[in-house]
Amino acid sequence: MTVNQSRWLMVAAAVAALAAGAWVARTMLFAPSAAGQSAAALIGVTLPDADGKDQPLAQWSGKVLVVNFWATWCAPCREEMPMFVRLQRERGPDGLQFVGIAVDQADKVRQFAGEIGLNYPALIGGYGAMELSKSLGNSLMALPFTVIVDRSGRVAHTQLGPLKEEQLSAIVRQLI
Amino acid sequence: MRCPSTSTGSLPGRSPADRPAAIARRFAGIGALLAALALAGAAGAAGPKLLPAEQAFRLSARALDATALEIRFDIADGYYLYRDKLKFAVEPAAAGAGVPVLPPGKVIEDEFFGRVATYRGPVVIRLPLAAGQPGGSVSLKVDSQGCADAGVCYPPHHQRLVLPLPAAGAAPSAPVDASPSKKSYFN
Repeated sequence: MTVNQSRWLMVAAAVAALAAGAWVARTMLFAPSAAGQSAAALIGVTLPDADGKDQPLAQWSGKVLVVNFWATWCAPCREEMPMFVRLQRERGPDGLQFVGIAVDQADKVRQFAGEIGLNYPALIGGYGAMELSKSLGNSLMALPFTVIVDRSGRVAHTQLGPLKEEQLSAIVRQLI
Repeated sequence: MRCPSTSTGSLPGRSPADRPAAIARRFAGIGALLAALALAGAAGAAGPKLLPAEQAFRLSARALDATALEIRFDIADGYYLYRDKLKFAVEPAAAGAGVPVLPPGKVIEDEFFGRVATYRGPVVIRLPLAAGQPGGSVSLKVDSQGCADAGVCYPPHHQRLVLPLPAAGAAPSAPVDASPSKKSYFN
């Protein structure tokens, strides 16, 4: 191979690298990354609470909203909720609002809510709630999955799995 | 350093023979920049790296003969299944599926549900068939639900496998994978 041929081979390889980079950019940039996007899909939802009363999420617009998808059959979900109850009590007056969406049966949710002294709404969502969490980045539809929405209705953070209190407090402090 | 001028009037310091290298560098650089930007901006939900359920709880099954199915879960490290959430159904009903033989598993103490049995690693379950047709086939439906030690739980998972039943005297049928692994360069 002459020097010129090897150099043009380099060009060909580099063009391939550009194409690969562009492909990565296209597939990953357009894959759902919820942070920064509008939470309109979430805020526009209405779900029944554990007593069967319809609750539109829009009633909490303007608050710092922590929407937590959970279930009583999910032990890690149950374990972090007492911490949510405490934060709701401490920072609720400043505009923090937790909303739980349980992929679960209302009677089980009511029972657990009573046991931990739940002080924020527990809404009941079925398979549709799982699909909603998927559209917000929960591709495996696993629980717990938490979406934090700022006061202007934009997604500030999404978390698959339990949230550490220090991290949650830090995010809330920034948004409140 | 004094750069030699060239007769073609091209940019100083760049002879025609270097053009391909310069172009190559530019293309590769743009490609790398695009990829880096994409990777930086495309962070999905924060949280642990998780396997899809089909990989975390690999299901396969085979018929030992026309009277027994053998169902196997190969559970990845760091994941577990709930014993009492495992459900099996066989069609046609005429095959006469009996009670599955579930290993005891490991009992853990759950705050809400009390003593709960879980499975880790390989689990083998035997399911008797009272009236399986040798040489025929059955449809096995499996319900399972599991979690990861990383702190998440998967939704209930429903899977279906079609299993051939060996002819009388024949060897057990080859295991059927619920989710045969597909070759992927980006996993």
